[in-house]
Amino acid sequence: MFAQKNRLLFVLIVIIILPALLTSAAGAENIQANENDEEITIAYVPRSLDNPIFLDAFEHAQEKAIDLGINIEWVAPFVYNEEAQIKIIESLIARKVDGMVVSVNNTPEYIDVINRAIEAGIAVATFDADAPDSRRLFHIGINNYEAGKVTAEGLLTVLENRNIDYNQQEKKLDTMIMTGVRGALNLDSRIEGFLDTVEATNIRVQDIVENQDSVNLSVELLEQYLQQNPEIDIIFFVGGWPFYVPAEALPNFQQWSKNGGVAVGIDIFYDALLLQERGLLQYLVGQDMATMGSKGLSTLYNYIKYGAEPREYIETGVEVADDDNLERLLQTHRPWRVK
Amino acid sequence: MFNNLFKKLFNKIEIHTIRTKLIISFLIIGLLPILLSGLLSFNIYRGAINDRISAYSQEMVNRMERDLEDYISEIETFLSREQDFYINQFIKLTQANDFRNNRKYAFRIWEDFNNLKQMKPGLEDIAITFQDGRRISSYGTYNIDLENFRARMYSDSSGDISFTSPYTNYLQQEVITIVSSYYPEIAEENVLISADIDLDVLANLTDFNLGEKSYFLIADQNGDIIYHPNQELIGERSLLYNAGFPDRKLNLNGEQYILTSTFSYATGWYIISMASADEVEAELNYITDITLYMTLVVLLIIILLTIYLSSSLSRPIQKLQELTHRASENDLSVKIDTSGNDEIAELGQSFNKMIRRINKLMEQNVREQKLLRKLEMESLDNQIKPHFIYNTLDLIIGLLENKDFDRATHMVEALGKFFRLSLSHGKEMVLIRNEIKHVKNYLFIQQFRHGEEYEYIIDVEDHEIMDKHIPKLILQPIVENAIYHGLLPSEKKGLVIVKGYRENKNIYFKIADNGVGIPAAKVEEINKILTGRLKTDDQQKYFGLRNVDQRLKLMYGGSSGLRVESVEGEKTTVIIRIDQRGGN
Repeated sequence: MFAQKNRLLFVLIVIIILPALLTSAAGAENIQANENDEEITIAYVPRSLDNPIFLDAFEHAQEKAIDLGINIEWVAPFVYNEEAQIKIIESLIARKVDGMVVSVNNTPEYIDVINRAIEAGIAVATFDADAPDSRRLFHIGINNYEAGKVTAEGLLTVLENRNIDYNQQEKKLDTMIMTGVRGALNLDSRIEGFLDTVEATNIRVQDIVENQDSVNLSVELLEQYLQQNPEIDIIFFVGGWPFYVPAEALPNFQQWSKNGGVAVGIDIFYDALLLQERGLLQYLVGQDMATMGSKGLSTLYNYIKYGAEPREYIETGVEVADDDNLERLLQTHRPWRVK
Repeated sequence: MFNNLFKKLFNKIEIHTIRTKLIISFLIIGLLPILLSGLLSFNIYRGAINDRISAYSQEMVNRMERDLEDYISEIETFLSREQDFYINQFIKLTQANDFRNNRKYAFRIWEDFNNLKQMKPGLEDIAITFQDGRRISSYGTYNIDLENFRARMYSDSSGDISFTSPYTNYLQQEVITIVSSYYPEIAEENVLISADIDLDVLANLTDFNLGEKSYFLIADQNGDIIYHPNQELIGERSLLYNAGFPDRKLNLNGEQYILTSTFSYATGWYIISMASADEVEAELNYITDITLYMTLVVLLIIILLTIYLSSSLSRPIQKLQELTHRASENDLSVKIDTSGNDEIAELGQSFNKMIRRINKLMEQNVREQKLLRKLEMESLDNQIKPHFIYNTLDLIIGLLENKDFDRATHMVEALGKFFRLSLSHGKEMVLIRNEIKHVKNYLFIQQFRHGEEYEYIIDVEDHEIMDKHIPKLILQPIVENAIYHGLLPSEKKGLVIVKGYRENKNIYFKIADNGVGIPAAKVEEINKILTGRLKTDDQQKYFGLRNVDQRLKLMYGGSSGLRVESVEGEKTTVIIRIDQRGGN
């Protein structure tokens, strides 16, 4: 009797629940199908087009987009300009792209436009330079503080190799720091990591020069500075802006290096490695821009497509270029300029 | 003809006064040329202004067409470029998805396109677009809806270049895009090379100041607006389109506009100038106002002048008319106050002179009549003195008693003629012939009465004077004086000569006697009294001479009258001068 009742109950349950389950499964398949049918467009917004450091990210983001079967856009002002970059982000909001990965500063203007994009239903992540005060989904890049610290440690090694005493407090080692703009969180973190590491030494920051994220201006400022301050001991390049020109375009820098100047910096790319090969740079710390391009895209895609929540910080790690691996790096990195 | 027309007009509107006629005439004469010349000048000026505005508008749209075509031509030159190695490589590697090798070409294209953007103001973006909508431009790489993009495109006249209607581009800018096809040698797929032109460039091209309400617009061949100052209208079909944009004047939203257009064959666009008629005609209105105000001022001046002139002309005439009327009603005390030297003043002076003359003549006539009556009475009194009559009648009786009937008959006949001629039927003027006869009768009677103690001779040389008229009783009183004061006191045989002749249009009578004569002092006194140089209170003194003299002077003026010459104890001559030129 009970068994009969249970059997009857089971049948009823099956009769009631099975269609519901079937309907639910079919619905899920439809949603999946719809999502597959939709063309996903994700835009990368680097700081500018004229900075070749982003070309690795550009290349690998495109390749990843092909793999994912989505549209990739790569848009920025040719020369860095905050207003123009924000305008481009606004145009992406107007065009209702599905997501964007931007390299920005942690300033109110950028925070505002990122938040507006998110309010418009666009998934926003940052790469290279973060805006943590915004509601961006995640940031992919290096630990900039750590990068600064690694660069400082590399500098100390170079000084040791050259038998320069960096602990002798009587004689200071005057240092010039060249950065993009103050307020760019990534750059400021690199400086902070660098300064914390050399705090106990006799390395003293004489000047911090801002090049407004401009390659051309950075070259000009560097040459001017060395003409006026040939006695400077150390230069720390927070980014690789002046490394895009051949050594012949940097005569003062060449002369200063010959005279024993020590230069270290962040960003590894083909032209920077050539300068290092010529002896103008002694130690470089590089970002993995390729990973920022490919992994940044795939992470955002997974979030848009599948709702996969990413970690807030995605560390891409750093690589270093010193005398030991320079030859190998010159073979793996490719020139960006048309010859 | 005009005279008749004016008469009819005046009669029709019952205008009869000279003043009103003068006012209307002056107004017509004064205003007509002013109104005609004002109207003519205004129309000529209006035509010139309209021509100038049309020419200016046409020049503006032509200049805009040239500027636009120059601008577009430069863009087209860039778009119609020959094979470009970097572009070709980029296309080839993009089609192959070779991103690793392609990134340097992408960088090069970004750099090139941005350099071009810097060189050409208003050039917002330059792009290469693939058939699947992928695009590389000065802003990077992105995707567009190519189908939608193509739907906006239309070709120019050559078919090599296409234009889009205005739309919002990638950067949310209002642009039009110029598009050219590019066929790379190394790839089968052709791509589109395009340039986005900021609509502000068109705004700058149309940045000519026609006025606040005036504006320019640009429309395509279908009349769809490409550029309009009111951006909401961009992309819409122009209401002005009428199988093109023919030049015309039209009403739009209650405003009058002058439409001037030109067609750009390079772009297939119409450039249209909409000049506000109000603003164009503002200058005309100013001229119209000035003309109107000047006409009103001139009209006022003419009216005031007309009233003044017509009054100054008609007032003396009215006064003259009024005084003439009073004069016609026997009021001869009237006198016009005349000033100036014009005809009216002369007419007034003549009127015054005429009235004075009439008064004088009337006074003279009255005085003359009085004198004449008095003389007649005196003459009759003398002539019908009982002594004269009785003596004469006794003589006649004596002749009858002596049966001298012939002489008695002559005496009666002479006496009758004497009295008849003395009365002359009451006429003042008599023929000299009759006056001579009267004197003859008188001398005949007196000669007979005085026993033929003297002779007399009547000698009129110029017989033509016999038919002239003179006041009656001119000669008889003088002859009577000659007999009674000259001959009768004398003891010698007396002679009276009455001579008449004409000299220098004057008629002279000389009555001479060979009597006792008059003392020189007396002659001088008589002549002084006669010429007015000596006054006398005794009205009876030399009454006969003075009577005749005054009557002649009254009748013929001061040059006429009597003059006495005498040689005491020998002769006396009274000369009567009648100046016919001084007669009334």
